[in-house]
Amino acid sequence: MPPALSSQFAPAIQDVSRSKKLQLLGILSGFAAGAWLGAAEAPTKLVSIGISPMVISLIMVIGVFLARWSLPALILGTSSVRADVRRAPHLVIWALLAGCLWAVANTLTIFAIRDIGLSIAFPLWNSNSLLGILWGFLFFNELRQAGWRRRAGVLGGALVMCVGATLLAIASSSGHGPAAHSLHGVWAALGAGILWGTMYIPYRKAYLTGMNPLSFVTFFSFGELGMMSILSVGSLGLVPLWQELLSARSVVFWLMLGGFVWVIGDIFQQYAAKYVGISRGIPLSNSNQLWGLLWGILVFGELHGRGSSIYLEVVGGSLLMMLGVGSIAFSSATGTEQTRWKDAAIRESDRYGVAAEFVEARMDGRRLLGESKPSRSALDWLLVVLATSVFVIFAAMARVPQMSLRWAPAALLIAVLFLLLAICGLALWRTTRFN
Amino acid sequence: MSATEPDTNARGWWTTILTDIHFWVPVAVLMGGLLLLRFIR
Repeated sequence: MPPALSSQFAPAIQDVSRSKKLQLLGILSGFAAGAWLGAAEAPTKLVSIGISPMVISLIMVIGVFLARWSLPALILGTSSVRADVRRAPHLVIWALLAGCLWAVANTLTIFAIRDIGLSIAFPLWNSNSLLGILWGFLFFNELRQAGWRRRAGVLGGALVMCVGATLLAIASSSGHGPAAHSLHGVWAALGAGILWGTMYIPYRKAYLTGMNPLSFVTFFSFGELGMMSILSVGSLGLVPLWQELLSARSVVFWLMLGGFVWVIGDIFQQYAAKYVGISRGIPLSNSNQLWGLLWGILVFGELHGRGSSIYLEVVGGSLLMMLGVGSIAFSSATGTEQTRWKDAAIRESDRYGVAAEFVEARMDGRRLLGESKPSRSALDWLLVVLATSVFVIFAAMARVPQMSLRWAPAALLIAVLFLLLAICGLALWRTTRFN
Repeated sequence: MSATEPDTNARGWWTTILTDIHFWVPVAVLMGGLLLLRFIR
């Protein structure tokens, strides 16, 4: 890359304080993402009451679709989304592709949960962080000129996470799994990890080209809903699918709520990917594994009655994974590494013809000088009202599933979720105004 | 990564995407995922 191009970003590079603030914001977003993504998996436990995994995934994706349109409309307004698309129309294709990857991965996770349980499936698909590091290094200059300590922190952390995941896989294959298809469950969870790890290529591509995470997720939703509809109709047929949806109407609300919760986690994850890159952002948001474990054990009593050795394997493996996450969190990118990120951003903006100053401003979490302030229109409020109405209608039909749930730990976990939402949401607003 | 070198021509963004190696990696993984799903079902 010619030095003259890199010098376009020199003022931003010198703003060390701003850069550190954005790094911290990315790390905080990663942790908030972990908590919300972990909570979103809990409703998929409903698979044990006899609903097809395809139908569960489709209903969750419908909830996701509603959330991915209504939340951005509420936070920034659809005018901001339209402005982003005018600047970088090619990113719509990337967002659709990422949505398709998400839908297939999500369906695989439902099969994995059915076959090997939430506590064990979680860390297996969280192997996506290893792929995220690889793609970040190969394609987006992440960890280049990062120094040995930071590289060791990220790679060592990923390795420790891998050991933790292996420990959990051993626990799965030792015949203690909840179902007879443990090998299928392991493949499904690992496959989901590969799909989700690769899904971050479009994410990073979008953020290096200046797209707002809230705009990206809006188009992402078409890819996931389209792919999920194709999978469901192809698998079950239109009439049986409709009949299954009708018979599942009493739990539709809970599954759509799971999708909604997932979107909140995913939006935080998008900000993490934007501000700390995918090699760090993915492992951080993979702390959802710990949250999933807490929900599985405390609320659903998942390991109740198992031998103490299984507890040791699952808890030990999870702690190792969390140790790896901590190591990565303390290895944030230095100025020289960030210069390499910006080289990758220049490459992308040149390739796709996006204005360099726009990319620079967005990477710095700012609006472009002279860029109009986003505003909400009647259309935005209409989207919010429509999405809310759908949730209210299905909430009226909902019944609490006949499952053994412990409500006190559930209430505590929900309170922590909202606390993290408030802290991280406020930090994002104060620092970037969600730009 | 030669496939992602700056594109100075005024090609359509569809062509630009289809000649970007970054695009084909997720496409290949998506195909693999669909095959795995078919196998598991």
